[in-house]
Amino acid sequence: MSNTDSTAPDRSVPVLEARNIVKTYGGVTALKGVSLTLTSGHVHCLAGENGCGKSTLIKIISGAERPDSGEILIDGVSHPFMTPKKAIQLGIQVIYQDFSLFPNLTVAENIVLTSAVAQKRKTFSLAQSRPRAHAIVQELGLTLNLDAYVETLSVADRQLTAICRALINDARVIIMDEPTTALTHTEVDRLFALVRKLQARGVALMFVSHKLEEALSISQDITILRSGDRVSSGSATDFDRRSISRHMTGRDIDESRVINPPQYDERPVLEVHALTRMGEFENITFDLHRGEILGITGLLGSGRSEIAESLFGVLPAESGDTTVNGSKVHIRSIRDAIDAGIGYVPEDRLTQGLFLDKSIADNMIASSLDKYRMKNHLLDNKRIARTISVFFDKLHIKAPNVSAPVRSLSGGNAQRVVLAKWLANQPQILILNGPTVGVDVGSKEEILTLLRAEAAHGMGLIVISDDVPELVSVCNRIIVIQQGRLTSSFTGDEIQVDAIQERMSA
Amino acid sequence: MSEQKSNETRQIALQTARSTNQRIDNVVSSSLARFHVSHGVGRMILLTLLAFVIFTIAAPQVFLNPLNLQNIAITSPEIGLLALAVMVALLTGGIDLSVVAIANLTTITISTLYSTIAATDEGLADSLGPVIVLVGFVVGLFGGFINGLLVSKVGITPILATLGTMQIFNGIAIVWTGGETLYGAPAMLNTVGTGAIAGIPLLFVVFIAVAVIIAVIINKTALGSTILLQGANPVAAKFSGIRTTRTLMSTYLISGALAALAGILIISRNPTASADYGSSYVLLVIVIAILGGTNPTGGFGTVLGVVLATLTLQIVSSGFNIVRLSSYEYAIAQGVILIGVMVIDQVTRNRQRSAVLKQRKLKVQLQAKDSNQ
Ligand SMILES: Nc1ncnc2c1ncn2[C@@H]1O[C@H](COP(=O)(O)OP(=O)(O)OP(=O)(O)O)[C@@H](O)[C@H]1O
Ligand SMILES: [Mg+2]
Repeated sequence: MSNTDSTAPDRSVPVLEARNIVKTYGGVTALKGVSLTLTSGHVHCLAGENGCGKSTLIKIISGAERPDSGEILIDGVSHPFMTPKKAIQLGIQVIYQDFSLFPNLTVAENIVLTSAVAQKRKTFSLAQSRPRAHAIVQELGLTLNLDAYVETLSVADRQLTAICRALINDARVIIMDEPTTALTHTEVDRLFALVRKLQARGVALMFVSHKLEEALSISQDITILRSGDRVSSGSATDFDRRSISRHMTGRDIDESRVINPPQYDERPVLEVHALTRMGEFENITFDLHRGEILGITGLLGSGRSEIAESLFGVLPAESGDTTVNGSKVHIRSIRDAIDAGIGYVPEDRLTQGLFLDKSIADNMIASSLDKYRMKNHLLDNKRIARTISVFFDKLHIKAPNVSAPVRSLSGGNAQRVVLAKWLANQPQILILNGPTVGVDVGSKEEILTLLRAEAAHGMGLIVISDDVPELVSVCNRIIVIQQGRLTSSFTGDEIQVDAIQERMSA
Repeated sequence: MSEQKSNETRQIALQTARSTNQRIDNVVSSSLARFHVSHGVGRMILLTLLAFVIFTIAAPQVFLNPLNLQNIAITSPEIGLLALAVMVALLTGGIDLSVVAIANLTTITISTLYSTIAATDEGLADSLGPVIVLVGFVVGLFGGFINGLLVSKVGITPILATLGTMQIFNGIAIVWTGGETLYGAPAMLNTVGTGAIAGIPLLFVVFIAVAVIIAVIINKTALGSTILLQGANPVAAKFSGIRTTRTLMSTYLISGALAALAGILIISRNPTASADYGSSYVLLVIVIAILGGTNPTGGFGTVLGVVLATLTLQIVSSGFNIVRLSSYEYAIAQGVILIGVMVIDQVTRNRQRSAVLKQRKLKVQLQAKDSNQ
């Protein structure tokens, strides 16, 4: 598989070609005859709304799913019965949207495992492979603990592990399905540097991301899907952010800053004073008013997520005071936080946020069951059904009906289910960690509008994100966390993308 | 001009046809999906009928004899309640191996109390019947409480925790009885054990009533929903504010209560108690719970499915008796039925998938033809 190293990247050679791929799931047509070509030395950006079929196309190329019709050609040879094993042996490496790692293996083992498959080896030795894993981690300049079990890792580290696994092999085709959702600038820059190196070596790459700027900066070709159809394709230089989102959604997306003034009651709804958890964050003090949207940002590992998890009782703070509506609360467990009126949309939606095999309806109601208990202790199923259908419509979840299992949803639609679960709970304070991760530009705008509406109804919201433009468009106030400390705070006119980004990496 | 127009109308008609088609498709597939959820129940109804028909044909005189049918209705309840007890634990992703031991502790408690009091005053012992039965029930409930404590507070894996308590409860029962069979039970239990309403044994009526209550708890209460969610994904359950400890404790209390009730039915049927009663039940009730469609990893299952699975296996058991097959052959049959159902499940699932695929392919080809024209 490494013979491509010697040949100069030939810009016109199609390494992989997908022809008229059709795929249906029950009543849902995920792909309606999509064609696409990956060329040696090119990065191909695949864009489109949530549920338009991007991941499905990728799974078909990698042999994880079988198409209803259409064919995949590699070097001009058709492969009607592709399997993941064969794809790996043909030099196709995929970073799946859900990572597809083995939680019970270490980082190093996960990284080298597929290369054993690629080399058709029956056994593989960790001792021999660890140096290789180490090398790739070094090349990307990462601080990943190679011996940690994947189940203990943060989402970002899991994503980095998946990236390393795809890059370690001498792949000819590398497909990345939203590889950067949990990463910040620094890691993305390093990843892109490596992508450029691979490109120069003649590797064909495909890149899926809802962060359009990022996608544009790295890609040469673009294909845009809409509801399973290819609506546009061409050279990346012919597109910009605006035109891509118009092709994706069929309308212009308004990303301008819209904020409403908070309600300045006598006491803020949430006051956090000198919150500390040694080694994670220290002396964090801020408050939040009703109707206010507070942004918290910072680099990976800065402690921003830990602050949220501590307010939600996952990692209780060691010292400091939390006051809700003027009365002090002691948050020692998640239940304490919920009883105090705090909700939390976690970063890790697959394990912490969702019951994948349960229906959309069951998921949506999971955190508010207590609210629907009638006097006779039974659940008020009529009211539950009403709430569910309200949020199903409000969040425009793309699914045949509310009894579809969440596992069958696309990534962005699954994210909406988590949001719905907490909006249905109507907490006084809602903390959202990466609420629009993996959500397409159009829906992102819808979700931000929804958050504004909740704020206007008196909810206090905290949005944790490294998507600074998103924070700028929705937050009344933004605080920056660096190495566990609150280092700066932006209000009013100070809220500018550049200024904040500068401050973050300073 | 008119040709163009007719072309247009044709186009529109085609489109409407297509969208209608799509809509019908959606309805069909969503109702199919709904069918799939209650699939466990559907297949159990078939299986129950099948077992019934087979033995009716094999030995109509004996099998359809009211006595035999009554016998099935009398022996099913205790096993059914034990299977429901296991099912409730399975729903949370756990299991309860101690149910039979708990049932025996209940019977032994009742019998011991009764005969101790009856030794001095039989009339008093009978009039204290309700209290004695209640004490027996509480002992069983306490067994469930111990399980709940070990699983929810201490955090021991359910299979190990209940394996341990099974041994302990069993040991206590043997030491207590000295391995002997105890005789004697309050007269009121005899009424339950032999009574009937409209020809239906009271035992069976109790079984169905309890099953309905459990079904209501699981499907219509917040506790039931949390039990199912806990089994589907414990981490997400925690992040949704579900009180894990309380949910698990309730689960094992319910399981203990069902086991205790099973014990009460056992001693009602036959006023004796022994430590080794139903030693083959543990595996049988797990088989029934899973055959009834309970997902062994948690999150899914129906009471109706388990009730039907109980009936099926009891029908087979009595049928085997009639056609003079041994209990060993019955054990083989249990395994064959369980594996057979799982295999059929898998095959039909695959077949369904490929049928849908074929249909799609045809449709896509037709569409391609359409657009070519
Ligand atoms: N296993 C499945 N069963 C049923 N439907 C499915 C299944 N997998 C995907 N789908 C449906 O296929 C469509 C395409 O999903 P896909 O995951 O490819 O979207 P996507 O473009 O990757 O979206 P996102 O940006 O949200 O990740 C969606 O409508 C989804 O609900
Ligand atoms: Mg996707």
